[in-house]
Amino acid sequence: MNKQESYKKDPLRHYINPESIERAPEGFTERLMINIKAEALSQNSSVKLAKTSLVPFISTAVILILVIAAFLIPGIQSEAFTLPGVEFLNNIKISLPVIDITNIFKLQLPVTLIYVLIGILILPLFDRVLDLFFHREK
Amino acid sequence: MDYKGDIFYIEQILAGNSNAFRYIVDRHKDKSYNLALRICGNHEEAEEIAQDSFLKAYRSLKSFKMRSSFATWLYRIVYNSAISSVRIKKKKILSLEDFPADATDFIRSNSTEEEAEREYRNSLINFALQKINEEERALISLYYYEEMSTEEISDITGISKSNIKVKLFRTRQKMLEIIEKVEKKKLIYYE
Repeated sequence: MNKQESYKKDPLRHYINPESIERAPEGFTERLMINIKAEALSQNSSVKLAKTSLVPFISTAVILILVIAAFLIPGIQSEAFTLPGVEFLNNIKISLPVIDITNIFKLQLPVTLIYVLIGILILPLFDRVLDLFFHREK
Repeated sequence: MDYKGDIFYIEQILAGNSNAFRYIVDRHKDKSYNLALRICGNHEEAEEIAQDSFLKAYRSLKSFKMRSSFATWLYRIVYNSAISSVRIKKKKILSLEDFPADATDFIRSNSTEEEAEREYRNSLINFALQKINEEERALISLYYYEEMSTEEISDITGISKSNIKVKLFRTRQKMLEIIEKVEKKKLIYYE
């Protein structure tokens, strides 16, 4: 049975006119595109926000690694621990200065605190570098 | 401007050109609006459903796997939105008394008798459409108005092909019964 025959056999087709299609209301596309543009804008800003919020995370992580490394590396003397990087650091014979600030401020602060303070001072510098890196597309 | 195909514009949108969505909207707005209108039976609601469906499609464009055509995927969104919207707002059931019995009403508002007859048949079918449930309305709309195959309808509605055939058969019978009742009522009215 071909399509035309099946059309004739279907009595509902007598009442249905497939050409009686309603057009979408005037301004449908314009109204929708306003919402789409707002959507695209909010998507872009959330991506930017995600990128920007990475900066303090990365700089904090880097500082923490540096501070932890400052504590650990001078103490590694074991022969078994022969990472090339550690070996190189040990061979350059530079030790971190021990600054005694107790005489200056008459405070009993742990010596390690000075490394933390140095780390905090480096933080804005890292911040700046990362900021430049993440915003270079501007 | 020649339409370059849905995939071309989808790729543009995914690359960051949200303006390309305009071409897709222009291409599919009438069919989406009609499907929503036939399911919900209200112009304002149909526009709202169609707009929401396009917005949903835009938001989930990244998840569109291109396994089916974009049109099928979009109509599936429209179908689901319209069905759930109607189910939430459950329409009142029309009685036969709600149908205008006097055919002269149609003649008065139209210039020719032929146009009046067409208008009358349209009203009959729209009345019958309002008397069946939302799922049946969607099937009638997709099969008779959009002239889709049972396979395409199955892709959109998620109903199996064999089930669609059964449902279409029953809906057709139901609609013809409604139309028959209305026409009988019209004859009684003239007697």
